[in-house]
Amino acid sequence: MWWKKNKWKIMIPVLIVAVLAAAFWYGGSAPGLQGWTAEAGPAAQAETPVTNPSPAGDALAPASGSTENPPAAQAEGMESSVPASVSGESGGDVSGQNGTAELPEPEYGRVLETPAGQSPEAGIDSRPGGTEGGMTAQEKVDAAAEIAGGSSAGVTAGGTEYSESQGMVIDPAAGKDQYLTDPVPEGRPLPVEPQDAEISDTACTCTLSISCAAILDHMDWLDPEKVELVPEDGWILKPTEVTFYEGESVFNVLQRTCKQQSIHMEFENTPMYNSAYIEGIHNLYEFDCGERSGWMYQVNGWFPNYGCSRYQLQDGDVVEWVYTCDMGVDVGGFYSTGN
Amino acid sequence: MQNRDTFSSYHPAINFLYFALVLVFTMFFMHPASLVISLVSSLTYAIYLNGRKAIRSSLLYLLPMMLMAALINPAFNHEGMTVLTYLPSGNPLTAESILYGAAAAMMLSAVITWFSCYTAVMTSDKFVYLFGRIIPALSLVLSMTLRFIPKFKAQLHVVSEAQRSVGRDVSNGSVLQRLRNAVTILSILVTWALENAIETADSMKSRGYGLPGRTAFSIYRFDDRDKAALVWLGFCGLYIFAGWMAGGLYWRYYPSVRGAVAAPLTISFQLVYFALCLTPVWVDLLADRKWKKLREGNV
Repeated sequence: MWWKKNKWKIMIPVLIVAVLAAAFWYGGSAPGLQGWTAEAGPAAQAETPVTNPSPAGDALAPASGSTENPPAAQAEGMESSVPASVSGESGGDVSGQNGTAELPEPEYGRVLETPAGQSPEAGIDSRPGGTEGGMTAQEKVDAAAEIAGGSSAGVTAGGTEYSESQGMVIDPAAGKDQYLTDPVPEGRPLPVEPQDAEISDTACTCTLSISCAAILDHMDWLDPEKVELVPEDGWILKPTEVTFYEGESVFNVLQRTCKQQSIHMEFENTPMYNSAYIEGIHNLYEFDCGERSGWMYQVNGWFPNYGCSRYQLQDGDVVEWVYTCDMGVDVGGFYSTGN
Repeated sequence: MQNRDTFSSYHPAINFLYFALVLVFTMFFMHPASLVISLVSSLTYAIYLNGRKAIRSSLLYLLPMMLMAALINPAFNHEGMTVLTYLPSGNPLTAESILYGAAAAMMLSAVITWFSCYTAVMTSDKFVYLFGRIIPALSLVLSMTLRFIPKFKAQLHVVSEAQRSVGRDVSNGSVLQRLRNAVTILSILVTWALENAIETADSMKSRGYGLPGRTAFSIYRFDDRDKAALVWLGFCGLYIFAGWMAGGLYWRYYPSVRGAVAAPLTISFQLVYFALCLTPVWVDLLADRKWKKLREGNV
């Protein structure tokens, strides 16, 4: 009798709790999903029969064959142009670590056989945060810091004195400039605001490349609809000599080259950082390969800690746009100013 | 309660099931064929139900809204393989984003048209009959909210007529005076709405609404005709759902437009969907013909 009378008083709360619990679980807050460790992805791959001795999953292992491949060789060449104070501080393993980050040649062989073993669709749920996304920005940064084990190789802490002596106005309270940029490491160029840049008629050349090779390591994380877009070797634009006019920024060059080469590119202007933000190139967008994926750029082997509209190019610079699946850890550009 | 058409005379469960199926399918299927089917059948049914008024509202409100939705998407979304040209902002204008905008506009207008049919067929007494026992408070609130706008509009008319008769309408006096009158009318309306809500709640309570053991008079019977309709709706729903799960209604817009191949099986899903969407129109037309024949026979 009591049950008949108060049936709904009990059923409805139970139903509501069940629906909320299901939503909570499905929304990515399940303990299993929250507790994933970043090594789980690459490590799980490493357990699948890997004949190649090069342990690509461990970003910190020194690469054995870094001289064999063109990008790494480039990066090493670039090191020489960096003032001695920078490379001297991090010691001899700088080039080796950068070599790993550049995805050395032997990796390609291994990478290409991995997707064949497992279908890309099978693993999309395994990517960080699942398909829906459940990590906060801070969680992503922490997770990336955990894998990187601190800052990336070859970078030093931002030099406040150096930056100020070069004319960067840094707010003493925040330790950043008006566009929330940390001090630039010693020896690196300072940001030049696009509205102040004077573009002259002097034509210069730089090398531009666009690569999404990091996706090849995480094919199982990639949005199934985008798998067909990834080139077999990861190059969207192989290193190409492009002409630019003195005073132009990395963004200007990227935009013009993408138009000329008919490569799709979408950006968004972010007034807060006074720079364009590259959302997607070649229809590969941020977050398409997990929650920590997106486009990054490096000039002469350094990932600048400011936006691409504020990086003024010099003659002979080497600009590389790389797609990261791990907040820059997998391409060697996690903390550009050290920590 | 007089029925708008023959389909409205079916059991409320059938009416509700039909609209639930059609609305869910419209919102989930982005296949252009499905969208066209849904839009065309919703417009057909709306015109059958509301006549000229439906044509007028769809031309006056739906068409501009569709155009706006179709234009807004390519302005903000630049994904897609086919770059047509570059927008002044520097971002590409892609064919895919235009197509997606058109599809989204079609979906939006189809859903709105379906809801206009829904309000004509699923009157609040039917809704309360269906859900009054399970969720008494919510169904009362829902039916009150859904009725709120038309009731508010009618009351606005009454209030402004009354104010006009004492010379305090928005059509009299200086701009400031008119504004003041308009605010007075709004204030009267809000007061009325609040009081009316309390009165409704009180009167429902005094009639024992939502109490256990309370019965409600209703003339709805689930007869053979409803059973046949249930079987038909169930078949269509399951068939289309199975087709959807199997990818027979798959369509993607980004990064390039691609969809399920046009095979006899995938076309059959669309045909069944079309049949499902047009069920009420088909039921109504058959009944109309029967009536016409009977009348002619009597003469």
